[in-house]
Formats: sequence, C-alpha cells, structure tokens
Amino acid sequence: MAPDRALATQARPEQEFFCFRVGDLRLGVPSENVLEVLRAGLLTPLPRTPSFIMGVTGHRGEVLPVLDLLRFLSKGEARIGPRTRLFVGVTGSYVAGVVADTVLGLRRIPVADILPPPLGGDAAAEHLLGVVQASGNQEAINLLNFSKLLQTARQRAVAR
Amino acid sequence: MNDDAYPEKEEEVDLLFFDIGSTLYGTDASQVLRIDRALPDDLSLPELGLPHKGGRAIVFDTPEGEAHLKVDAVHGVRSIPIHTLRRMPPTAGAAPYAVGVCLDEARTVLLIDLVETARTQGRH
Repeated sequence: MAPDRALATQARPEQEFFCFRVGDLRLGVPSENVLEVLRAGLLTPLPRTPSFIMGVTGHRGEVLPVLDLLRFLSKGEARIGPRTRLFVGVTGSYVAGVVADTVLGLRRIPVADILPPPLGGDAAAEHLLGVVQASGNQEAINLLNFSKLLQTARQRAVAR
Repeated sequence: MNDDAYPEKEEEVDLLFFDIGSTLYGTDASQVLRIDRALPDDLSLPELGLPHKGGRAIVFDTPEGEAHLKVDAVHGVRSIPIHTLRRMPPTAGAAPYAVGVCLDEARTVLLIDLVETARTQGRH
C-alpha cells in the first residue's frame, strides 16, 4: 500500500462489504462472510422448511440451503430469474447460498460513515450492523450482521 | 501382485427415483417392496407436492405393516455412487423424512425416507 494511502487508512479505518441488491433493498455483507458468487440455477425445494429457505442446490459437491433475505426480513419475496445470482455466505461452520438480484460489488466503507441501525425499526433492524448513506440520489445500503442473521435463520429452521 | 491392477470398486447404493407432481424424488430401493396401483386411502404428503394423478403407489414395509405412498411415475432403480449422496444440512431445517440429497442428477434430488413419511402422517 502506498504510504499516503496507509496513513489515510489508519486515520479513517475502513471495512469491506460485499454489496448487492435484492428486491428494492440494497444490502451489504462483510466481505469475510462471502466465499463466492454463482448463478442461481435450479433449486430443489424442501418440504416443511421456513418460507425463507427456497430450497437447496448442489455446489462443488456440497449441498447449500438457499436463503431468501426478503422473506427473512419480511420485505417481500425474491424471485429466481436467469440473471439471479447466489452468493455463498459463511459464518463459522454454517454455509448458505443467498439470493441476490444484482451484485453491486465490493465497497470499502469508512467505519465512521456507518450509521447505527434506526431505533424502533422493524424486525430487520436487529440484523443490521448499520446503514451507510449512498452518494447522489441512490438509496442507502443496509449493512447486515451476517453471522447473527445466519444463526437466527438456523434457529428458526430447527425450532420448527 | 500389483494392487493397481484391481482398482477398488466404488461403493454404490440402489435408489428408486419417482415423481410426485413435477418433482423428482429418490428413496433407498431396499425400503421398497413393490410398485402397485394407488388406492384412494393411500398415503399422500401435500408437502411433497400434489400428485397430478397419483395413479401409482410405492409399497414399503414399516414395523406396523405395509404402507403405500401415492406417486405419479416411477422411473426405476439406479445404482448411485455413495460419494454423490449428501446428508441434509442442519441449516435447512427440513422435514425428518427429507434425509439427504443426491448430486448425481442434473439437479439435486431430494432423498426421502419412506418409513418416516408414514410416521409423519401418523399412519402405521
């Protein structure tokens, strides 16, 4: 890293997020929680799972449960189309595919720019690390606490 | 003798593939006694999809006797290498009869434990 950049980073620490759009939401996940991005392909639906689990898919010899974040956050319902992507999200020993309509890419966000989740927000707010205002007239990006989200998803799935 | 001349045969398991509605499922063929015509009282699990006609029944043994699961079509038995089978990931939280998946097909195929389907329905 160039000395100037290193100094700037020290002065203004940043965190890298994998950003994507699903439905009307712009979301970010800490990049260390994302292994790779793939085409959604064919999903195999599972009987008697929570509605936010769209099914499973095989990838690199493993079985990935596929999460619909819109349903999980009670913000609608994701649809799988030819351009839909899945990102492979991981935390500890839990791995899952997550539906993304559009991949916005990796963004380095200064930690100081991350605003706390809205107080008195809906149930989705409990899974947010914070919110970052986008430049121009773009919508804000909601930064997800992916580890907490995946653990909650697992608890909800097995509690049934 | 050179061991390489006799490569170890990969372990396989016989799976019976069948359709309910437009969904393909698989099950351990050793659980299946026979394929029969479906009767109105035969077991049907809406969670697996609604049968189009449900004209066939997979007959299997349970500790309490024979049980019948209504299906649309039976594709037959194939020997599948064990390395293509996976247990259901716990994060999926699927029904207890959804025991795993087979990765050998173009898409993952859900593997069903027939005896567990009967338990789920409180039949047998």
